[in-house]
Amino acid sequence: MKLRLKILSGFLILALMLTVAAVWSIFELKSIGVSVNRLLEENYKSIAASKTMIEALEREDSGVLLLMLGRWEEGRQIIDSSDSLFQESFSAAASNITIEGEKAQIEMIDKRYKEFHSRFEKPIVGTNKEGDINWYFDEVHTDFLEVKAAINKLMSMNDETMYSTSSGLRGKANRAIMPAVVAIISALLFTFMFNFFVNYYFVNPIVRITNGVKDFIKKRTPFHVEVDTKDELSELSVSIQTLCSLSKRSENTDES
Amino acid sequence: MRVSIVLRYVGLVLLINALFMLIAGLISLMYGGDGFGALLYSAVVTALFGVFPLIFVPTPNRISNNEGLAIVVSGWILSCVVGMIPYILWGGEFTIANAWFESVSGYTTTGSTILIDIEAIPHGILFWRAITHWLGGMGIIMFVLAVLPSLGTAGMILYRNEMSPVAMENFKVNARTTMRIVLGVYVGLTILETAALVIAGMNLFDAVTHSFATIATGGFSPKNASVAYYDSVTIETIILFFMVISGLHFGLIFSFIFERSMNIFKSTIVRYYVLAMVIGTAIVTINVHGTNYDSWGDSLRFAAFQIASVGTSTGFANADSAVWPALSQILLMFFALQCATAGSTSGGIKADRIVMFGKAVIKQIKLLRHPRAIITVKLDNKKLHDDDLSLGVLYICLYIVVVAISGLLVVMLGVDAVEAFSGAIATMGNVGPGLGGVGSVGNFSQIPALGKWIFSGDMLLGRLEIYGMLIFFLPSLWKEKSTVR
Repeated sequence: MKLRLKILSGFLILALMLTVAAVWSIFELKSIGVSVNRLLEENYKSIAASKTMIEALEREDSGVLLLMLGRWEEGRQIIDSSDSLFQESFSAAASNITIEGEKAQIEMIDKRYKEFHSRFEKPIVGTNKEGDINWYFDEVHTDFLEVKAAINKLMSMNDETMYSTSSGLRGKANRAIMPAVVAIISALLFTFMFNFFVNYYFVNPIVRITNGVKDFIKKRTPFHVEVDTKDELSELSVSIQTLCSLSKRSENTDES
Repeated sequence: MRVSIVLRYVGLVLLINALFMLIAGLISLMYGGDGFGALLYSAVVTALFGVFPLIFVPTPNRISNNEGLAIVVSGWILSCVVGMIPYILWGGEFTIANAWFESVSGYTTTGSTILIDIEAIPHGILFWRAITHWLGGMGIIMFVLAVLPSLGTAGMILYRNEMSPVAMENFKVNARTTMRIVLGVYVGLTILETAALVIAGMNLFDAVTHSFATIATGGFSPKNASVAYYDSVTIETIILFFMVISGLHFGLIFSFIFERSMNIFKSTIVRYYVLAMVIGTAIVTINVHGTNYDSWGDSLRFAAFQIASVGTSTGFANADSAVWPALSQILLMFFALQCATAGSTSGGIKADRIVMFGKAVIKQIKLLRHPRAIITVKLDNKKLHDDDLSLGVLYICLYIVVVAISGLLVVMLGVDAVEAFSGAIATMGNVGPGLGGVGSVGNFSQIPALGKWIFSGDMLLGRLEIYGMLIFFLPSLWKEKSTVR
């Protein structure tokens, strides 16, 4: 192989090593971006919706208590505004189904909420339910707790996925960094190796050829430098050897 | 010493590694998971390091014996270094120390692991883990010599440095034929075991990885519970059979199959190896019966498998031997020190040296009784010289000294003495499991990072039979001027 190709191969290999590392790091970083986006868009959105649903549910429960105390206007107002808040958050959660089993959980919340809501759709004020604390605890509060438990389950499902995604992110970050680390270490080792080969196979023969030529000029020592590689340097050595032989022969001819 | 020549041949070794990384990458693509990128990148880096010296360094006419030794030892160490790259890149439980430990454990066919959850690892990485066993079992240099076209006299020098001197004695043919025999037997046994395991109900991936680990007497399993996961007597029997076969001298297996030679049954070493295992199994069976297992069938099943597993330096587990009585555990440690026969893929002191040691002791006793007697020690009708006996005994002493020192060093790191010393025996013998936390169903994850480096050193010392490794680090080896071109 020619010298030019050998030197070029060194640089090409170095470039290839760094390019592959860079491409992989970019791929992993992009993958981190996608994961972060998933984390925020998919899981966090559902968690936020669940929290709002719980808040709305608790306010609705307070509204029911106000109805039981005979405060019709305030109670209905709180229940209506909380219901619309609940429905809004429920729609957000229902349109963001990303985990296995999440759809079934959404349907469960819907079912439980409808049951809970049916308890106070009929008037309470002015009926025997007004002030009936036992009715509240036996029916309304039980349904309230069931809806809350269903929402909490949805929240924990998203929490767990968020945790495992963020744990995976740590691994992805490692995978994005490590190719660069391996590439840097490899490039350093490669540089040492390249330097060693350049010295051993290029510089040393040049020094030996130079010394051989000097010896020939000064002491007329026959030029004989062996170069192991089959490249321009070995050709140079052979050419100089031929030149020296010719020169010596012509000198001998002149002398005779 | 011509470093460039060493780099050229190590480059060939790295290229073989790169090729197998690519194969593991393809497996990763087939099975999915996220190991593909790590394997592909590792293959590229390894191939580049392998190909570069080939561009610069011309083929030498000859290499010296010292250069051969340097190539063999560097080939092993650098294979372990590049072998850890896929683990580091994949991440998970693999820190630098863990990746190095797992890689050395793979190539040296030790089978000790730092992984707590093996089943969480993608198929591609698991396959690479099994390949390191398979490459290391045959001997990575032997593999290069067997698969690459003629390396001329350089091949002979490398062969002499790679092959255990005890094993070489038993091969009756030249180096090239020996390499072909080893490769042929190795590949043949792997295919046979894979087929048998698939027929027994194992899926193809598990069958291949278990076969790689069995024939190489490695012990890496893709399952957390090792072979116990399958809870199948058929699978255990198949693996047990191939473990015992893989512990035999490959030359004897070859001549038995292809030349109808009965030497395998006449060999003193083989007879001793099989008899020791039968006696060991009988003692352990009696010992664990009633204490650990109610039925004789279960006692025999678990005792036979564990003794064969440790006695061949494989390291698979079908039971938790850490809860067995002390006598059984001591016996397991004896087999972990001894292991199987030279010329196999097994590690440890080797049955050959134990037999030689026994003969040296008998000779010494006879000499004490009859000081002027001329006693000839023979092994299978072949005279053993005093030098051979001394070398064998010296090797055993050196082996035990290394085990003791490394065990002590690990104890100093705060590790329990049983775990430290049994870990040293298990890693030095390339066995895999020790006792206690590093036992048959345990792992080495709890060992401090420095301890993992010490045990990794033990694995390499054991695999390269101590002397090669020691000479490699002598500065005089590298200063020596080469007389060959």
